[in-house]
Amino acid sequence: MAYISNPLFGVFLSLLVFLIGKWLFKKSHGLFIFQPLFVAMVLGIAILVVLGKFFDVSTAQVYAKAYKPGGDIIFWFITPATIAFAVPLYKRNDVVKKNWVIILLSLIIGTFISLILITLVSKAVGLDEVGIRSMLSQSATTAIAMPLTTSIGGNASITAMACILNAVVIYALGKQMVKWFRLDSDPMGTGLGLGAAGHTIGSAFGLELGSVQGAMAAVAVVATGLVDNLLVPVFAHMLGL
Amino acid sequence: MKNKEPEHKSAPLLFQMLVYAAILFASQLISETMPKNFPVPTPVIGLVLLYVLLTTHVIKLEWVDSFGSALISLISFMFVPSGISIAANLDIMKAQGVQLVLVILLSTIILLVVTAYTTRALLWLKKKLTSVKLGSVSNDVKTGDGK
Repeated sequence: MAYISNPLFGVFLSLLVFLIGKWLFKKSHGLFIFQPLFVAMVLGIAILVVLGKFFDVSTAQVYAKAYKPGGDIIFWFITPATIAFAVPLYKRNDVVKKNWVIILLSLIIGTFISLILITLVSKAVGLDEVGIRSMLSQSATTAIAMPLTTSIGGNASITAMACILNAVVIYALGKQMVKWFRLDSDPMGTGLGLGAAGHTIGSAFGLELGSVQGAMAAVAVVATGLVDNLLVPVFAHMLGL
Repeated sequence: MKNKEPEHKSAPLLFQMLVYAAILFASQLISETMPKNFPVPTPVIGLVLLYVLLTTHVIKLEWVDSFGSALISLISFMFVPSGISIAANLDIMKAQGVQLVLVILLSTIILLVVTAYTTRALLWLKKKLTSVKLGSVSNDVKTGDGK
């Protein structure tokens, strides 16, 4: 264990699994199941599980002792990278200035309808009460969603997991979903949806589709977080969950 | 605004890093003053702050553009540690993992599609309202087709 309790191990493992993912994605000509982030996540967890068996400690311990020190170094860069989305947003200031009322209304109404649907789906699937509460704030970015979930009586680590998987799903299935739901005719809505559903990764994906989609997704990342902060506690109270 | 005239010259890399570091630092200080029941994290404040500073021309585009693009191009890699962090919660996954993953998958689709269609509906409504206004002037709104 001592050999790998060095930040370099986490950095190395992250690069290794992500590059394997990239290679598989290229070899498979872009098969969605081989999206680099998804491959990296599954492969990385699998390696930690195996290491845990090998050193005879729990996976959570291997994660905390061996992986997290290095992982945190990479994780830190998400903050400046998120801030950097102000640049593509500023470049499409024309769209923002012309449509800010529609943007705000879309996010408020969209969030409210989504909250209702997410609650219904959670109940249909049979999540317990804590589970349902933990699903409500997932459209906010992780740092807003976690304390919000705690304040309405959910489990913050489930919410964190939801925020991560949102991003993985958008990254892996974004192209297909845009096609299935015929979203490509409306770049503004697509961008806002990608930001609400996929957070920062949704914004990166939006930028790949076009400058308007990227800019709108960046707006959604900020505004959805704030809307959730106001709306989710009221919604949870209203449902009397 | 007189951008675009010096065809995309960018500031030196270290200077761009300095600008990001300054915004990061300021955002963190602001984030700490937010009330407990209304947390606004550093990245969200930073995004708004940089956007405002760009819009008010306090910060020039070339001070942040190329380094920002480099950061954004690496963002899916930066989320690898978040993905692997699920390893710390494998017991939750064992307990009700299938239901959770199913709900999260469906929720992602719901958020994307509902938000996108809401925007589309509002844009359509706006178009319709303006066309009605125009229509009432010309006194002919029989078909009411916004297009």
